[in-house]
Amino acid sequence: MVQKVLEVEELKVGIKDEDGGRIAIVNGINFHLHKGETLGIVGESGCGKSMTSLSLMGLLPAGVERHGGDIRLGNLNFNSFNKKDWRQIRGKKIAMIFQEPMSSLNPVYTVGAQINEMILNHERVSKKEARNRALEMLKLVGIPRPEQVLNEYPHQLSGGMRQRVMIAIALSCNPEVLIADEPTTALDVTIQAQILELMKKIQDQLHMSIVLITHDLGVVAEMCDRVIVMYAGEIVEESLVVDLFDQPSHPYTKGLLASLPDIHEQKEYLSSILGVVPAPGKMPAGCRFAPRCSFAHERCKEVPPLFEMENGSKVKCWLYEDGEAEVAAT
Amino acid sequence: MIAYIIRRLLHTILVVFAISLIIFFSVRLTGDPVSVMFQAGEPTKEAIAEVRKNLGLDEPLYVQYGIFLKGLVTFDFGESFRSGMPVIDLIKEKLGATLALAFGGMAVAIMIAFPVGIVSAVKRGTGVDFFGRIFSLIGISFPNFWLGIMLILIFAVNLKWLPSSGFESFKHLILPSITLGMILSGILARLVRSSMLEVMNQQYISTAKSKGISDFAVIIKHAFRNALLPTVTFLGLQFGALLGGTVIVEQIFSWPGIGRLIIDAINQRDYPVIQGGVIFLAVIMVAVNLVIDLSYTLIDPRIKIGGSRS
Repeated sequence: MVQKVLEVEELKVGIKDEDGGRIAIVNGINFHLHKGETLGIVGESGCGKSMTSLSLMGLLPAGVERHGGDIRLGNLNFNSFNKKDWRQIRGKKIAMIFQEPMSSLNPVYTVGAQINEMILNHERVSKKEARNRALEMLKLVGIPRPEQVLNEYPHQLSGGMRQRVMIAIALSCNPEVLIADEPTTALDVTIQAQILELMKKIQDQLHMSIVLITHDLGVVAEMCDRVIVMYAGEIVEESLVVDLFDQPSHPYTKGLLASLPDIHEQKEYLSSILGVVPAPGKMPAGCRFAPRCSFAHERCKEVPPLFEMENGSKVKCWLYEDGEAEVAAT
Repeated sequence: MIAYIIRRLLHTILVVFAISLIIFFSVRLTGDPVSVMFQAGEPTKEAIAEVRKNLGLDEPLYVQYGIFLKGLVTFDFGESFRSGMPVIDLIKEKLGATLALAFGGMAVAIMIAFPVGIVSAVKRGTGVDFFGRIFSLIGISFPNFWLGIMLILIFAVNLKWLPSSGFESFKHLILPSITLGMILSGILARLVRSSMLEVMNQQYISTAKSKGISDFAVIIKHAFRNALLPTVTFLGLQFGALLGGTVIVEQIFSWPGIGRLIIDAINQRDYPVIQGGVIFLAVIMVAVNLVIDLSYTLIDPRIKIGGSRS
């Protein structure tokens, strides 16, 4: 059995509303991450994937809080964490890269200073050693003329280069888990491919585990070992990446895949899933996807559990109550 | 950079020339200075003509302006109609007091407004923020003459801790600086708060937090440094205003500053002092602006002055 690095159980994240109540954004999700594995979390905007990732860092925005569940990293349980404990794992055990490389680096400090800051914060090294390490990191992420770039400011670099610098910062303390929140969304397609390739290469070198948050199924196919599909704050499907593309189970996943354009097929219109993700606090009773689902039936007024399939995939849909029989009929 | 500074200095000459025109002619619209000089009795026509000749007021306007301009080039603003002292000496005499008060007021404003603005932004929406904003509101809306008088009443008259007027020692500086600084800090705290709020939403703040560094480092090193730019612009402009625009505070505390010098000169239609004083303040204002612009390059490396963007 491969070692589990990160385990998340019944994670609940909510916004405090004015009456002191709570509006759920992430509604009791479970997942885990193996060592060296890349886990994709996909879903439309507003499905709770970013909030899930931020709660792993303890960096939920003001007004949003984790109000239930366990997050365990190795033998550390985040529930008992105070501010100082959080600071010690951020960057050191779990690091994060963000969507917007253009604005993720502080414009008033040099690249070198921003990498050094991370290293000096977590490791007992001299400034000179930190600088050498920063230089190594820049080489690792494939930055040309790294000596000069150390002394340059972010505005002197392109978007792709900045994302490489972000990766260098995130990996400078050799974290066990890297959370990448839409790391390539803001980049050109060619640069996207380079960055993804780089992440894969470094993952192999450092045996790191990655949680990749994206809405881009192409990126998922390229990068991930396993995938979690989130919808309206819940996990609706979890499976190996091969199975997800070969035999998508949940109607939502099918819809997502169907909305991808196919290079071999000429279509006048791209298919899309009708409707939008319901707003937090206005979730339908029963299956949350039912109002947008063309397979919805009477049973969907009840909340479906996650059904386990023969190939090990899990699906939160009543169609799979009796295994895969009914699916074939659809 | 050097070319830029030279260009700015040439601009300064233009500005001074324009101001000299405006001030020279507008001052002469206020009435005849000689008429206010004789307060007792009715002067004879000969006496008036005599005075006008002595002051050079009998020459045609363009000649007077020419003499004024010529003086400007040699930093000679002429002599006061009243005291007969060279205007430049009068300004020099008051400059120390004016600068001391401007710096004092600035220092008080910064010491109060930076912490209040920063804490208010960081604790947005909490009780602390509420008090911070009330403080700003009070600072902005309090009339400074009232505050000055209250401070004198409490600390000079009742407690007898501090002197109420004049400028002889550091102690004399405290009350007027607080009066000026409090008013300024109201606006400044609001500005710091709003700049901080804007910066705190930036992605690089999340990056900084994700490094596991302390909240203090995130706020001061990453957020505040970025929030500084609009603040410095404001402070620079205010500094210019403080040099000449502190007349009320100067009156309350009998502060021997340039603001009061000019107001007195206006009341007495003392043309050379008005002209010299205003020109002097204009030059300082332009110089302060230049210093602010140059300081941007130190705060934000993205700003390159005079050269092309790299």
